[in-house]
Amino acid sequence: MLVKNRMTRDPVAVSPDHTLAAAQQLTQEHRIRHLPVVSGGELVGILSDRDIRSASPSTVATDEPGRAEFLGRTSVAEVMTREVISAGATDTVEDAARVLCRHRIGALPVVDAANRLLGILTETDVLHAFVEMLGASNASTRLEVELRDRPGELARAVRIVGEDLRLNIGSVLVPPMRERGNKTAILHVATIDPREAIAALEAAGYRVGWPSLEADLRRPAEGPAR
Amino acid sequence: MKSALIWDPALTGYFFHPDHPFNPKRLELTVSLIEAMGLVDGGDHRVVPPRAATDAELLRVHSPEYVDAVKRMSVRCAAGEAWEWGLGTDDTPVFHGMHEITSLVVGGTIRAAELVMGGEVTRAFNVCGGLHHAHRDRASGFCIYSDLAAAISWIRETHGARVLYIDYDAHHGDGVQGIFYDDPNVLTLSLHESGRYLFPGTGFVDELGDGEGFGYSLNLPLEAFTEDESWLDLYRKLLPEVAEAFRPDVIVLQSGCDGHTLDPLTHLRATTRLYEETTRITCEVADRVCGGRVVATGGGGYSVWRVVPRAWTLVWAALSGQEAPDAIPFGWLSRWQGESPDLLPERLRDPEGAFDPVPRRDEIEATNRRTLESLRRQALPLLRGWGLGF
Repeated sequence: MLVKNRMTRDPVAVSPDHTLAAAQQLTQEHRIRHLPVVSGGELVGILSDRDIRSASPSTVATDEPGRAEFLGRTSVAEVMTREVISAGATDTVEDAARVLCRHRIGALPVVDAANRLLGILTETDVLHAFVEMLGASNASTRLEVELRDRPGELARAVRIVGEDLRLNIGSVLVPPMRERGNKTAILHVATIDPREAIAALEAAGYRVGWPSLEADLRRPAEGPAR
Repeated sequence: MKSALIWDPALTGYFFHPDHPFNPKRLELTVSLIEAMGLVDGGDHRVVPPRAATDAELLRVHSPEYVDAVKRMSVRCAAGEAWEWGLGTDDTPVFHGMHEITSLVVGGTIRAAELVMGGEVTRAFNVCGGLHHAHRDRASGFCIYSDLAAAISWIRETHGARVLYIDYDAHHGDGVQGIFYDDPNVLTLSLHESGRYLFPGTGFVDELGDGEGFGYSLNLPLEAFTEDESWLDLYRKLLPEVAEAFRPDVIVLQSGCDGHTLDPLTHLRATTRLYEETTRITCEVADRVCGGRVVATGGGGYSVWRVVPRAWTLVWAALSGQEAPDAIPFGWLSRWQGESPDLLPERLRDPEGAFDPVPRRDEIEATNRRTLESLRRQALPLLRGWGLGF
């Protein structure tokens, strides 16, 4: 999944000569929190709504009319962040997410080789991408399979479900280990009836969760409904 | 009040293979139990045979390419072709004559709609229908054509009526929702086990419809291991509000009974009493808002011997306004016990305490209440027209 497929193209941007008042109006109109700053076609900075809010003429609290007057005479260039952390269009979304986390920022302008602005990728875009990755896009059942952390374990489980039983596997996720030695794979399997898959995996020595390994609510022993 | 049970033994031809969970034996058992209990009489409560749906009726909800493909594969299946139409899988295998028999299932639900909309009966029940996973151009989850969507679109086209579709199968009614996702004249309401673990993995509260139909797709996903009491509590609160805001002309009901504790494909913890009660609530609301008109179908239900016949006999009794005694006739039990792998229950209604209590009941009920509130908050303003200024 590449940044260019998830970013917003032609984002709302400002020039360094805009006033903060104009910039603030743009953030409110478009309900956005980040404005790339562009000059002569090139990305030269970024301005967040927080930068605007925290900009003030002095450390002394200013009253409303004073503040409006300040925003009206201060230029974007005076407040913007010049050292912009940006992304390339062909970076992966995973990379972009890591950068957002490491620098604790909310958005990455996306630029080409000549530093021209192509788009913007926000934390919301990244979250949407991950939500799609976590869920399977086609109708499926979610199974949890406990694996020992060694080569071939995941492959063997996938082979049982996908090859022996010929069920389509929509996605496989393996979150990091909670305890040393074991991990849990989450398989989205395209079937309404996973009983055969569960039985085959259990026969091969796997512990399988459906609905969940973590929920301690197992089905009751089948009692007669009399 | 008059009612019709749509039935013909030919409907058991919707049959994939002997090991398949979608087993038509359950239909035979259900109808024979209804008959044994005297709940059809040839008078006000009679059996009416289905008719085959026409191509035009199928094409209102399915693409011509898909219908053509099903017809072709119904005669001869070319290797590899089935897959792209969602067929030839373990769930929905191809079988000889599947086009004709599925057309009869679809026609059965349309027949039910004809009887109700024509005023011949107030309620009709096509026990064989309820194929709610079929999509416009793809089979899924045991379902080839959508009898429900075809009947709803027949109602729309022939009578211009507003349709409230209610689906209490344990699986999300994704096919019907998808077909009417942008239609403000068809409100779909599905209560089901959360798609977090269960097929088809959809049916969350934020799936509200699209375009003009935004606000007309409602989903109430229930926590795994939800029991009768919580389910009924939510349904009693939600349905009257939805029905009064939408003002339907008819209710179409999919009454899959796979949310029962003994069902092998889901994790809900219902008893057969749930199906009697939800159907009663639905009929009471129908009496208030749409002249009592309900077109009902079966649906999922994979505990073939111990649950389905009892649950759907209760659904039929509630629909037709008849009181069903609790005791299952001895003749029926002795007719089927020999064939049944399990001991057949002797009462229609599971007694209190029939199943072990769920350890985390409080947590499950609290989560369900939060889900209801989230749905009401998002959907009711839209339905009442307060949302976007129209």
